[in-house]
Amino acid sequence: MTTRRDFLKQMRAASLAAMAASIPAASFLSGCRREPRLPATADSVVLLWMAGGMAHTETFDPKRFTPFETGLESKRILSTFPAVPTAVDGLSFSEGLEAIGQVMDRGTIIRSYRAADLGFILHSRHQYHWHTCYEPPQPVQAPHLGAWIAKELGPINPAIPPFIDIGQRFTVGEAEELKAFHTAGFLGSEYGPFLIPDPSSGLESVRPPVGMTAERFERRHELYRDLIEGSPLGEHGSDYQKESLLRSMEQAYRLLRAPEARAFDLGDEPKERYDIYNTGRFGLGCLLARRLVQQGARFISVTTEYEPFLGWDTHENGHTRLVRMKQLIDRPVAQLIKDLDESDHLDRTLIVLASEFSRDMIQEGRPNAGVRDQVEVPDTVQDMKYYGMHRHFTDGCSILLFGGGIKRGFVYGQTADERPCSTIGDPVYIDQIHQTIYHALGIPPETHYEIEGRPFYTTPDGLGGPLLDVFA
Amino acid sequence: METITEIWVVQLLGRLHPLVVHFPIGLLVVAFFMEMMTLGNKRPGLREGIRWIIYIGAATAALASVLGWFLLNSGGYGGDTTVYHQWSGFATAVLALGVAGLLRRAHRTGRPAAWMQYRALLALCLVGLTVTGHLGASLTHGADYLSSTLPWNQPESQAGELLAAFRTVDADAYSQTQLDRLNLEVRALFAHRCYKCHSTEKHEADLILDSEEGVRAGGESGPILMAGNAAESEIIRRLSLPRDDEEAMPQKGNALTQEEIDLIKLWIDLGAPWADRELQIFPEADLALARPDLPPIQRGFDHPIDRFVNAYFEAQGIRWLKPVDDRAFIRRVYLDAIGLLPTPAQVEAFLQQDNSTKRTRLVENLLADTHNYAQHWLSFWNDLLRNDYSGTGYITGGRKQITPWLYDALLTNRSYDAMVRDLLNPTEASEGFIKGIQWRGVANNSQRIEMQAAQNVSQSLLGVNLKCASCHNSFVSNLTLDQAYGFATVFADTLLEVFRCDKPTGRMSSPAFLYPELGVIEAETVEERLEELADIVVQPANGRLYRTIANRLWDRLLGRGIVMPVDEMDNTPWSQDLLDWMAADLIDHETDLKYLIAQIMTSQAYQLPSVPSAEARDLVARSYRFRGPVRRRLSAEQFADALSQTLGPLYHGVAYDPAGEDLEAQWIWFREKEVDRDVLPKPGTRYFRHRFDLDRRREAMREAQALIAVDQAFVLYVNGERVAEGDDWRVVQRLDLAERLRDGSNVLAVEGENGGRLPNPAGLLFSLRLTFADSSRQMVFSNTDWKTTDQPPEAGWTEHGYDDGAWQPARSYGRFNRSYWGRLVDFRYNPDRDHLPFARASLVTLDPFLKVLGRPTRENVVTRRDDQATLLQALALTNGTFFNQAIADGADRWLVRYGEEPQALVEHLYRNALGRPPSRAEVQASTVLLGETPTPAAVQDLLWAVFMLPDFQLIY
Repeated sequence: MTTRRDFLKQMRAASLAAMAASIPAASFLSGCRREPRLPATADSVVLLWMAGGMAHTETFDPKRFTPFETGLESKRILSTFPAVPTAVDGLSFSEGLEAIGQVMDRGTIIRSYRAADLGFILHSRHQYHWHTCYEPPQPVQAPHLGAWIAKELGPINPAIPPFIDIGQRFTVGEAEELKAFHTAGFLGSEYGPFLIPDPSSGLESVRPPVGMTAERFERRHELYRDLIEGSPLGEHGSDYQKESLLRSMEQAYRLLRAPEARAFDLGDEPKERYDIYNTGRFGLGCLLARRLVQQGARFISVTTEYEPFLGWDTHENGHTRLVRMKQLIDRPVAQLIKDLDESDHLDRTLIVLASEFSRDMIQEGRPNAGVRDQVEVPDTVQDMKYYGMHRHFTDGCSILLFGGGIKRGFVYGQTADERPCSTIGDPVYIDQIHQTIYHALGIPPETHYEIEGRPFYTTPDGLGGPLLDVFA
Repeated sequence: METITEIWVVQLLGRLHPLVVHFPIGLLVVAFFMEMMTLGNKRPGLREGIRWIIYIGAATAALASVLGWFLLNSGGYGGDTTVYHQWSGFATAVLALGVAGLLRRAHRTGRPAAWMQYRALLALCLVGLTVTGHLGASLTHGADYLSSTLPWNQPESQAGELLAAFRTVDADAYSQTQLDRLNLEVRALFAHRCYKCHSTEKHEADLILDSEEGVRAGGESGPILMAGNAAESEIIRRLSLPRDDEEAMPQKGNALTQEEIDLIKLWIDLGAPWADRELQIFPEADLALARPDLPPIQRGFDHPIDRFVNAYFEAQGIRWLKPVDDRAFIRRVYLDAIGLLPTPAQVEAFLQQDNSTKRTRLVENLLADTHNYAQHWLSFWNDLLRNDYSGTGYITGGRKQITPWLYDALLTNRSYDAMVRDLLNPTEASEGFIKGIQWRGVANNSQRIEMQAAQNVSQSLLGVNLKCASCHNSFVSNLTLDQAYGFATVFADTLLEVFRCDKPTGRMSSPAFLYPELGVIEAETVEERLEELADIVVQPANGRLYRTIANRLWDRLLGRGIVMPVDEMDNTPWSQDLLDWMAADLIDHETDLKYLIAQIMTSQAYQLPSVPSAEARDLVARSYRFRGPVRRRLSAEQFADALSQTLGPLYHGVAYDPAGEDLEAQWIWFREKEVDRDVLPKPGTRYFRHRFDLDRRREAMREAQALIAVDQAFVLYVNGERVAEGDDWRVVQRLDLAERLRDGSNVLAVEGENGGRLPNPAGLLFSLRLTFADSSRQMVFSNTDWKTTDQPPEAGWTEHGYDDGAWQPARSYGRFNRSYWGRLVDFRYNPDRDHLPFARASLVTLDPFLKVLGRPTRENVVTRRDDQATLLQALALTNGTFFNQAIADGADRWLVRYGEEPQALVEHLYRNALGRPPSRAEVQASTVLLGETPTPAAVQDLLWAVFMLPDFQLIY
């Protein structure tokens, strides 16, 4: 495996002789590290993001099943799917998630995640909170989880950017709010996400421009170097602005020429394997994530994509739509785990599957801290349209963890079997989730930067210890 | 007339210096070692070799020092190290010649004394070589090139720094200030790590750490500290326990670092002193301006700013360098004043002028170019005032733009005190600044909008950080929680309860300005309070306001403020006199910002060569000395505008149009649904129809002008006739439909196509303006009255009589000046090229290209942008679709003009992009690439390479 130090060495050797001597120590790879690193159980993280609020009782924490019939009382409905056993004794998932159930012997489920109570449900706000660990608004721009990791650890393989974000477009509703947390914040845009909205065209982002041959690409670069040397400004002493420009251009060229870029090309994948993953953009995103992890990616987020009232954001037709959502995720997520396990990458790759909050038929927000209803739910269900979990629920949510030092076949926490199906044991909060991820990567909990004279920690005030119980 | 150092041969020779210096170093060192080997008359065979090595070494030493002198005077170098290097270099050369002379004498006379003298001088010469070489290397690689790798020079944490500072002081010799600072550091640690459980609000185990009494009293298990004896203190024991111990602290969160624990230990060992909070322990700038006298005119520096800078240079022993030449100056001043590159004609005309005031006149002329001035400085103010055209908050109406107000203020050069008045005591047009950003739901109390107003006013206008104090008493300034709430209450229409770290304290705050000595705010209503606040803030006695803006403008124009960071105006300036004088001068000139900008730009200080700095952190370091402007990178907007100037418009329309037309055309498309929800349009063809009646007879119609733009492609039919088509949504087509219209009913039909592989934004935008003989007008706009379908209709759908009853109404995506595309189109009947030569980047909606180049999302105040290039930027510039498309479009334009003359193409490109003719080497490399008849690909590659040059991206 390539370490950061090796990478720097390679960079130096490969750069122009004149530049090699002047690469400042603080290049984009070497964060300023004040805390000693901890032993890591994972090198890479894949976040599988169920955008829009995934109902725990309809997916990974099934409760009593009530089949549809006209005139059914809404408050009697806990799950609209039957439960199906998984590979782990005593652990059942909701129907439609059998493939993921079959790989649960390689992972842990947290059933007691409590989302924050932000007073009013707004998906972009809760997603901001989940991804940055800070409640919006903040007086400074809070970095995304992936940006912290990119800053602290840098890339594993220099040809693969350290923070890759697959599947989210910013042309959909609440786009500005989504952009607000897809950033490196005060860490600087250097650590921001490398966006691949469409995984099947991922290769285009890491190849020479469309329509440019490799020869021409090289020639252009040679011309560039000739012109730099030909410029009468030439050696006006060295300054960091110029050095960083030349360095970043060299890096971009290296990256765009690197053979590893093939990892971005899904066309390289055998057809039968491709078909297993191809349940849509999310499935192909999982395939791309697998290929990138195998080539040395640091942090990848693959999202089902947040678009208001679509995907997991079920304000109506919850049952019907979840059948489709489960088809979208079940096969590719299971295959991702299996493939990484077979190629021996799972041990060093932490996979996290999560959502900003859960859903319920009746309770909006959480018991005792209810918030304004946004969805109309009739007392009795007369129409299939009303059969499903349509309100936003924050008091119990499921998170799956695989690989990267996590226990296999383990269940953490519990929710009540009757409404409200709230967390009743071992509640877990977002700062603990973040610290668990950082712990696996060996990033010390007290990691922070001074910003505008104040310490800004990876989690507010550096709180929220890792969930040591979920580590093997 | 060129001076000797401007001749290219001399410049070239100067650049050989770094090459030639290696000869004397190598030769003389080798000679010295060989000489050592001959001690005691051994190895006489070496003698003849040493002789020639010394001669050549001495000769090359002399040569190197001459070349070094050329290099030094060709510009770009300055500072103490250079001066030392220069003199030690000369000295070494003289020594080397001396060595050669002594050697010659020793050979001639053969006297042992002569040999001894020669050897001694050789040894001395070696010392000189080492010193000179080291200084030279420091110039090339940076002064800390070697030392930064030493383990004891690694950056330390804050606690570590403080500890180190204490260790260097004699144990008994701590000053009261140091003890206070130590105590406050410890209390800061308590606050961040312990208050969650042990504070007045939440006293677990009866322990309260936020008051002196509480700390002294201890908790339910007894006292926590023994003053003077850290080893016996409970708190140290608890903090040092292994994490799995039940008694280990903190129980929530992570262990303190060893340095943090050591800090607390030290504090206890020193008797656990407690600082009086009322003590002003942080330096605070005076509110009043010092109004210093102008230093005497020396050496011809008569500009007031230069008189201060000269006094500073004298005191610091810094030499004035020669100002930059005309080419460098005109590029710098254009970019700084109006954000555009000078055209080749403007450059040449300026070079031709021969009079001593031409630079001053240029500055005045540029600042008088009001629209371009406004469009350039708009970005600075948008960053500072957190204003943008899109972004968080707008979705729910929780945020408001101040763009029209701001643009007008810049256009008319409103005085700064009037601007500040408008911001603090706002009209409807300027209230967006203190209104803040309201998210739906509950925000942390330190982020309620009144507190945002207090924070933003403090940061942007007063250069003081209130963000700490909005949660708890600040640990980096003297500001307290109550002061922050008092200030926030000024903006509130109710009294605010004070929350500490988001927990209620039960105290209500009363309105007060941060600096009560400037005035009292006591009015009942918020409107009256804001009026009082505005009066207090803009009064000349509040030197802080004017110092802050003077410092920001200096920072903007010279790359580094007189005080750094620019938001912390309590820090020490490198020249208090200069800063205070500029602020006072601004007040004396009706707070005219253009006046101050002109003052700075016409000074010799602004015209000095730019100073390189090896690391970004050097700029904020306390050891910073002003020597001239700092080298700067083009901002995202400057870069984009420079591309627009060289390649053709990068953007097609603006989010805010200062000369906008009030058209009601809407972007429309077929309403696409998925499970009853509106979704993004899928790729494919959609059909549109609209029928309208002419208001008057056709004979009375004078004009019928249509504008149409469609993402992505379209065919337009009028009354069944195909009249136009297009496949570039950025191009607004202007059509004359007079001949196509008929009396009474008319039918417009459009076949629109959305491309791509995934659902993506699509839209049709149309406007028809009919002008009749009596000057009356009829307008036809695209809107939801239009009918649309996704089913291919049968023949005749473009004509009268077709039944579109089954078609649905179109969906609107908003007015023409909104865009989901990140880019807008130039949808105007009368493009006003004077006001808007092209869509300036400061006026467009933030798009991925500008974002990656560093234009911030303006959710928070931004007062400095990152000027280091990043990999993501380089990728966007290397294979990004947007940029490559712009280059491809631009290459076509260049080919049309210079396709036959590759030499001329290179010449003009360099003059346009860099403001200078290309060097011989540049012409050579470029024309080899272009060949005799350049292909589009070759021109694209040349354009790309030129835009990536440091010469283009940096302001020298």
